[in-house]
Amino acid sequence: MADATTDATTDASVAPTSRPRLDVQGWSCCAAAAAGFVVCLVGWLRGGATVSLPWAPTLGVRLDFAFDGLAALYALLATGVGAVVFGYGARYLSQHLADHGRPRSERWRFWPWMALFAVAMVGLATATDLVLIFVFFDLTAVCSYFLIGFDRERREARTAALTALLVTIVPAVALLAGAVLLSATYGTFSVPELVERAEPGTTTTVAGLLIVVAALAKSAQVPLHFWLPRAMEAPTPVSAYLHSAAMVAAGVLVLGRVHPLLARSEVVLTVLLVVGLTSIAVGGVLALGRDELKQVLAYSTISQYGYVVTLYGMVGAAASGAAAFYVVVHAVAKCALFLSAGAVTTATGEDRLSHLGGLGRRLPVLAGATGVAAATLAALPLTGGFFSDELFFGAAKEQGPVLVVAAVLAAALTFAYIGRYWMRLFLGPTGTTPAPLSRVLVVPVVLLALVALVVGVLPAPITQLAEDAGAVSHAAPVALSPAYHLDLRATNVMALAAWTLGGLLLAVTGLRDRASRALAVAGDRLGPRRAYTASVLGLRRWSGRVHDWETRDLRSSIAAVLVPAGALAAAAFASTPIAQAYSVGPISGTDWLVLPLLALTGVATVVAARTRERLSIVLALSAVGFALAAVYALQAAPDVALVAVLVETMLTLVFLAALARLPGTEPRRESAPRAGRRWRDPVIGAIAGLGAFAVIWGYLSEPREAPSVSADQIRLTPAAHGKDVVTVIVADFRGLDTLGEITVLLIAAVGVATLLRRGRLWLPRPGRPGARRSSCGWSPGSCWDRASWSPSP
Amino acid sequence: MRVVARLLLGPSVVVAVALIVKGYTKVGDGFAAGMVVGLAVALNAVALGARGAEEALPVLRHAPRVAAAGAALALVSGFFPLALDEPVFSHRPGPDEKVVSVGTAELMTAVSFDVGIFLLVVGVVTVLVHQLADPDQEHST
Amino acid sequence: MTLAIAAVAAVLFGAGSYLLLQRSLIRVVAGIALISQCAIVTIIGSSLSEGRAAIDPEQGGPLSDPLPQALALTALVIGMGTLALLLALVHRVVVAHGTAERDELRDVDRPAVVDPEGAGRREGDETE
Repeated sequence: MADATTDATTDASVAPTSRPRLDVQGWSCCAAAAAGFVVCLVGWLRGGATVSLPWAPTLGVRLDFAFDGLAALYALLATGVGAVVFGYGARYLSQHLADHGRPRSERWRFWPWMALFAVAMVGLATATDLVLIFVFFDLTAVCSYFLIGFDRERREARTAALTALLVTIVPAVALLAGAVLLSATYGTFSVPELVERAEPGTTTTVAGLLIVVAALAKSAQVPLHFWLPRAMEAPTPVSAYLHSAAMVAAGVLVLGRVHPLLARSEVVLTVLLVVGLTSIAVGGVLALGRDELKQVLAYSTISQYGYVVTLYGMVGAAASGAAAFYVVVHAVAKCALFLSAGAVTTATGEDRLSHLGGLGRRLPVLAGATGVAAATLAALPLTGGFFSDELFFGAAKEQGPVLVVAAVLAAALTFAYIGRYWMRLFLGPTGTTPAPLSRVLVVPVVLLALVALVVGVLPAPITQLAEDAGAVSHAAPVALSPAYHLDLRATNVMALAAWTLGGLLLAVTGLRDRASRALAVAGDRLGPRRAYTASVLGLRRWSGRVHDWETRDLRSSIAAVLVPAGALAAAAFASTPIAQAYSVGPISGTDWLVLPLLALTGVATVVAARTRERLSIVLALSAVGFALAAVYALQAAPDVALVAVLVETMLTLVFLAALARLPGTEPRRESAPRAGRRWRDPVIGAIAGLGAFAVIWGYLSEPREAPSVSADQIRLTPAAHGKDVVTVIVADFRGLDTLGEITVLLIAAVGVATLLRRGRLWLPRPGRPGARRSSCGWSPGSCWDRASWSPSP
Repeated sequence: MRVVARLLLGPSVVVAVALIVKGYTKVGDGFAAGMVVGLAVALNAVALGARGAEEALPVLRHAPRVAAAGAALALVSGFFPLALDEPVFSHRPGPDEKVVSVGTAELMTAVSFDVGIFLLVVGVVTVLVHQLADPDQEHST
Repeated sequence: MTLAIAAVAAVLFGAGSYLLLQRSLIRVVAGIALISQCAIVTIIGSSLSEGRAAIDPEQGGPLSDPLPQALALTALVIGMGTLALLLALVHRVVVAHGTAERDELRDVDRPAVVDPEGAGRREGDETE
């Protein structure tokens, strides 16, 4: 694969049509992915490895990575398919950006996310800690959000990105909930340990269901499938990667990882079976009727991952191995199909089947390669798809006649829709004449088709990989033996039946199209997408209303803080026993001096609240401050008292200085407040005061437990070479806090400077008159800033 | 008033130094010391006007730098143990070690952290006072 | 004693919230000052004198609890910093809009008082 990409590189650089310059980012991503592929391959051949580092030891969360069979399979997919897609994308993106008139620098909005996508996928594949899995799971969702919304000037792209994000991330919380549930019961987040400890029961079932919900939403299974067809707004390489090796595969990857747990609950397995089969049917039927290329493929993906989910719903070594095999074959085929769809659209400018046709004559190579990919999905012999369906049929056969019928019908449906897709695209009358295609857009498709063919002839390596992966999912060794048998064994009969039925479906066009359309309409009317839209709109309306109310004016904002705070305090009170909670407290010695000071404080406070004169406010405030400072001094807190006196003095000065600058010394009387309003503020103030009284009195009356922390600190003070415990606490024991606090001071000073002198910390030196004027020149922002801040003339 | 302001500055600095030095054994610490000097500066500003104070005491011009230096000093005193592979704020000399003292002043990193706080408070307070006292010449005209 | 401290803290908080709801921004700032005083009183109140000041503990005898004092100490200084910042903000508002009354500020949100272009950009920056 590494060699192939090097060839492709030279292709792009010499291709005469390559208008834009070489996409360095894209090719380096491609090279990195190819290197990653080699590393993963070597790692797998060497038998894997595990890494375990502590992350949050107190929570029992570890950075657990295991490069086992399952990890190898998905990591190889993510890097291998990644390398092909990135190579294709390097050419495609330049064209895409040029077509939309966007600058080349937009690549920086694309490739970093693609690379992160691949990294997240490899991380997810190797992670064996549920919390870690959750993190990577969401990381893929975040990457997909930015990639799907890459054409951000288009509304559909933005909506699609948001839908994909919400539909996959909100259920992902269920994964975390399931993880926490399991951890609370069994004391670990590690999947292998959970597999050892977990027992069948309600907890395991509920946790399993929660995890399944997250995984199914990610794998776009009914009824949370609707985000995937919308996500087709993404550029083609993103779609290809998303569908074959990354985002959607992440769901079944998680299923495969925790499958030993899921297998302990019949309920979970039944859910998987039902959802899987429904998805096959819904996806397949809808794919039959779609007109847009990528829509057909999107519904096909839903249907194909339905196969995998169904396989995980069947218990057994064969099913687990088949699921792994299926994922690989599907990834290769689906990626090729997407890339070819992108190439077709690039060449013709059309993306609808009804406008296309007969391309096989103009683009024979592409038609052949796409045909192989389509045949792989349709499970024709000589392609890997034949074996994946053989394994699928084999697994179904073990489950009984119902599943046999279902499996045949599913395969027939797949045969029909992919056959329709290929025939409409490449056979028949010519729809739109294609422009010549860059080889870089065709080579990856051919490459993937070759892989599919090789697997069809030589299935051994993939079988080995699938056996290793299946062994992880099944928690026991798995043996697969895909091979051609020229006899009438059950799997062959089933395959023949499927092809026949599929061929019939292809032939009866009218009935087929009508059924598909009816299902599509029904889905639109009643489907989950409508519910999703309604809930998003409702949420937004609600949020808007709250926001409007909260920011109406400052009072509302304050109320928005005070009322919930009050409600919380009330709730705390309601749930606290009140027995002997309130005590008057003893009064002794110097306390008789303190009482009048406190009374003075109270009076000064009331004066500060009542007076209308600014000067009186300031004086009252400083009276409050000094009285309290005296209180502190009498309460054996000399350090606080000292600082309080100094701070109060300073504050008084600062207040006076600020007030002196304010125009209109006389604050106007509140202009005739409405009758009801006059008493509103005092009443609110009184209620707040009473509430604070209840809280503070209750808090202060609470008999303190032995002040162990303080006692320790007092005991340790001599060891810290100090005698004043308070100072030692500030400078030593809690030094880090103090550091944070003085940083606040520094920030406050910078803030003041920004507000008052536009960021200049100091006035320019007198005697250099030019210096001040020049302040407008040093930054582009300062000139308009000045305009806006200028006082009225 | 002006004379008093001028005269008070010197003693205030002395008092501040005393507060810091004594801080570990008696009342007082970097915050208090910083505020004392800050008050003296503010008094100057009140007496002479911000601009006048700046002219009379060109040192004040360095207030932002003093604040930054204080922050840096506090940061270094707090975090240097990291370089020695110890938790932050493990001051030197450690417990049970002898402290070199000059008179009653003890040389240790906790004190240097306090000095950092002092410088920062002085710088910040000076900036605050002067900015609020004299926001921007262009607007007050 | 507990009761007295609680009562004073409550008066401070009540008056503070009352001032917060006032129209004049200066009074709002004063309200915040009062509420922060309330917080400090409460912190200090939680270590009501149990002995002498916590200096030189080796002398023995009961000491007052030093930890709340340390907290109060930093709270005081930071309170000053924030108040200065608020005052600067008020000052800036007055310079820009010519008033420190909240209701008038709302009315002059698109002011004729200020250079309309600059103000418009400013508003836009804040609302977005």
